[in-house]
Amino acid sequence: MRPRVAFNPLATIAAVVPAVVVLILARDLATPISFLALGALALAVTARLGRRAVLALTVALPLFVVVSGATFAVWTDPARAAPGAELLRLGDYALTTGMLGSGFATALRLAALLVLALLLAATSSGADLVRASVQYLRVPYRIGYTALASFRFVPRSAHELELIRQAHRVRGMAGGRGPVAGIRRWAGYVVPLLAGAIRHAERVALAMDARAFGAHPTRTERHSVPFRARDAAIVVLFWTATVVVVLARRS
Amino acid sequence: MTQPLEVRAVRIRYPDRDAWRPNGVDFSVRPGEVVLVLGPSGCGKSTLALALGGLLPRDVPADLEGAVLLSGRDSSAASIGELGSSVATVFQDPDAHVVTATVFDEVAFGPENLLVPADEVLERTERALRTVGLWERRDDNPDVLSGGGRQRLAIASALALHTPLLVLDEPTANLDPAGIEEVYAALAEVVASGQRSVVLVEHNLDAALEIVDRVVVLDELGRLVLDGPARETLRDNVDRLAALGVWLPVSALAALRLRSAGVRMPDLPLTPAELATSLDALPELPPPPVAATPAVPAEPVVTIDRLTLRRGRAAVLHDVSLSIARGSVTALVGVNGAGKTSLLQAIAGVLRPPRGTVSTHGHDPARADVRVLARDVGFVFQNPEHQFVRATVAEELAHGPLLQGVPADEVVRRVDGMLVRFGLVDHRDVHPMLLSGGQKRRLSVGTALISRPPVLALDEPTFGQDRERAEEILDLLDEVNREGTTIVLATHDLQLVADHASHVAVLHAGRLSAFGPAGEVLSGGALEAAGLRRPVLARAMGALSGHPEWRSIARLADLPGGAG
Repeated sequence: MRPRVAFNPLATIAAVVPAVVVLILARDLATPISFLALGALALAVTARLGRRAVLALTVALPLFVVVSGATFAVWTDPARAAPGAELLRLGDYALTTGMLGSGFATALRLAALLVLALLLAATSSGADLVRASVQYLRVPYRIGYTALASFRFVPRSAHELELIRQAHRVRGMAGGRGPVAGIRRWAGYVVPLLAGAIRHAERVALAMDARAFGAHPTRTERHSVPFRARDAAIVVLFWTATVVVVLARRS
Repeated sequence: MTQPLEVRAVRIRYPDRDAWRPNGVDFSVRPGEVVLVLGPSGCGKSTLALALGGLLPRDVPADLEGAVLLSGRDSSAASIGELGSSVATVFQDPDAHVVTATVFDEVAFGPENLLVPADEVLERTERALRTVGLWERRDDNPDVLSGGGRQRLAIASALALHTPLLVLDEPTANLDPAGIEEVYAALAEVVASGQRSVVLVEHNLDAALEIVDRVVVLDELGRLVLDGPARETLRDNVDRLAALGVWLPVSALAALRLRSAGVRMPDLPLTPAELATSLDALPELPPPPVAATPAVPAEPVVTIDRLTLRRGRAAVLHDVSLSIARGSVTALVGVNGAGKTSLLQAIAGVLRPPRGTVSTHGHDPARADVRVLARDVGFVFQNPEHQFVRATVAEELAHGPLLQGVPADEVVRRVDGMLVRFGLVDHRDVHPMLLSGGQKRRLSVGTALISRPPVLALDEPTFGQDRERAEEILDLLDEVNREGTTIVLATHDLQLVADHASHVAVLHAGRLSAFGPAGEVLSGGALEAAGLRRPVLARAMGALSGHPEWRSIARLADLPGGAG
C-alpha cells in the first residue's frame, strides 16, 4: 500500500478522530456501515492498493464481518439486546433478530475502525508523522526521533524471539501444556530478549551521540511536512460526513 | 597550526577495573594522515578509539587522565555539537548505526543534527554516498544492504559530518572477504582526497596496509612502544611485534614462515600483492610439503543424502549430499541466505529434515526425540544467551543430562568436570546471564558437550565478536576437536576457515557447490562462484605467475617452515 496522494499525517488523524469517537459510541447498524463505506472510498481514492490489499478489503473484511458478527450475536446477552423475532431455538436458548443486530453492529464497528486505521497507515509514513508532530505540535525532536529509531526494534525483537524459542525448544523446554507451562515458557524468553534489546539500545544510543544527535535545540528539516489545501479539505470532508451520519441517525 | 588530533599522556580506567588500559599514550595525527593502532589483546585499543571519538568519558563512564585534543579542543570540555564537527566514529556493528528508514535519510541524519542548511545537507549526502558507491541505492531500506553495504553506509554517514578526523574501530570484524574488499575500496576513495585524517583499529592488516601511513603500537600494559611510518616500522620490528602478540598481516606471517624454511625474502612483504611479487622474483622455491592425508579415510559420522529442505513454501536446500568424517572440522560457508544455517540445523535436528535424508551418529534427526538428539549432536546457537534456560550455571549444565535420565550422582560428576574444564568453578551459582561474554560462550559450549555428543554444531560462533574474542572461541574449539569431537560450523569468516577447518562445504543458493579438504576448496574457484572471496593467502598464491605447484596453497599450515 503506497499513498497516491500524500496527506499531512496530522490532518488525517484530525479528520478521522470524530468518526472514531462516534463509532465507539454507536450501537446501531447504519453508522458503522456508513463509515465503512466512507473509509473504503477514501482508501480507494488516496492509496495505491496492491492486489493483496484489494483482496483483504473485498474478501477478508466481509468474511470477518460475517463470522465475527454471527459469533458476537450468539454471545449477546438476550436480556440486553433489542427485542426481536425469534429466529432459532435450541432447548432453552433462543436467537432473536435483536441479538443478531447487536452482534453485527459490533462486528461492523470493528471493521469500520480497522478501515480508518488502514487509511491513516496508507496515507502517511511514520517518519512524516514524527516530522509533522515536531513541526506543528512542538513535540521535542529528541523524543520524536528516538521513537522513530525504536520502531526499528520491533522486527529485530520479533526475529530474536523466534531464535530464542527455537533454542529453548532444542534444549527440551517445549514440554508441558496449559497456561502455567505457557507462562513459565514465556518467562524464560523475556530475560534474554530484554538483555539483547537493552544492549542493542545502548549501541544505537552511542552511535546516535557519535553523530551529534541532540547537539542543538532544533535540527535541520529538509522537507517540512506542509499543511496544504487538500489537508484542510480532507478534515472538513470527514467532519461534515461525520455530522451528516450522526444527524441522519437522529432524524 | 592545530592538528586534527593530539593525544597527551592519556590513560583510561573503567570504574570496575584496577588497571589503566591504555596507560600513557602520546601521539598526534596530521591532516590527511592515516594512522593504524596496533596492540595485543586487552591493551585498550577499542577503549582508546572511544576516547578519540569523544564518546568516553562523556557517554561511556570511565576515568580519563591526560587529554584528547580534537582540532585543538579538549574533548572533555567540548559540547556535542563541537565534537560532532571535529570527529566521526564508525563502529564494529553496522546495525547499531541505523536510525532512519532509507539510505539517504541515514546519511543526512548527522548533518541535520548539526543544523547544516538543507541544500548543503543534500549536497553532502550525495557526495558521501557517491564516495562509498551507494548513491544508486539511496532510496533503499538499510536493512536490505549486505554487511559490507551497511558498513559503507556507516562510513558515508560519518563522512557527511565533514569532520577533519575519522575513527574506525574494527570496521570489518563482522564482514566476509567480499565485504572487506568493498569497505577498503570505499576507504581508499576517502583517503585519496588527503583532506581527512583517519585513526584505524583493525585486525585485517593485509587490506588496511594499502591505505595506512603510520602505525602506533601499544604493549600488553597499554603503553605506547612504537610510533613510525607503517611499512618500515612493521618490517624493522616484526619479531618484536610477533613477541608482543600483535596482529600481523597474513602475508608477513607467510613470509616469516618461509624464511624459517630457508626461502630468501630480504624485503618482508606486507600485502598479498607484495608476497606474490617477491615469490615470483625467486627463480626457485622448495616443493611445497605434501599434505598429510590419512591413509585410511575416516568413517563418516554425519551423512546427508539428497536433502531438500523447505521453510514454509520456499525450498532453502536443494538436493544436498555430503558426508562428514569423524574427527574433522567442517566449515559450511556461503553468502547470506545460501542455506548454511539451514543445513547445520538439519544436521542437528533443530529443523526437522525429511525422513531418511540425514543420519547423525547413526540416528535420523527426523525421528529422534530432542533428548536423544542431544546425545548425538550438541548445538551451540549464535548468541549463547538465547539458549540459557536455568537460573544458575550448575543447573544450566545439569539440565541436559537430567532430561536424558542420567543418574544424579553421574550428573554431579559431569557438572563438576565441566565447571573445572571451562573455568567456571567460581561461578557455579551465578545466573548465566550475569557471566561475562567469554564465560557465556564457554558455558554454551559446555552445555552442549556435557551430553558427550560425538558431534558439535555451531552457528556463526564468531559473529559479532571482535578479533580477540573470536580467537578465544577458536582456541576452545581446537581443543575440543583434539579430544576427538567432530565439529561442524556455519560461518562467514573465511580466514577462520582457512586457519582452523579441515574440510569446507560451499553453499550457493541452497545447493552444495563444492565440498572437500579445506586447502583444495579454498584455492579453487568455488568461493568466487558462490559470491565469496578467497582468503588472503589463497589470493596471494593464486596471483603467482611462476611456481605453478605453489598456486593452490591456501593455508599458512600448508607452507614449508614453521613448527611443523
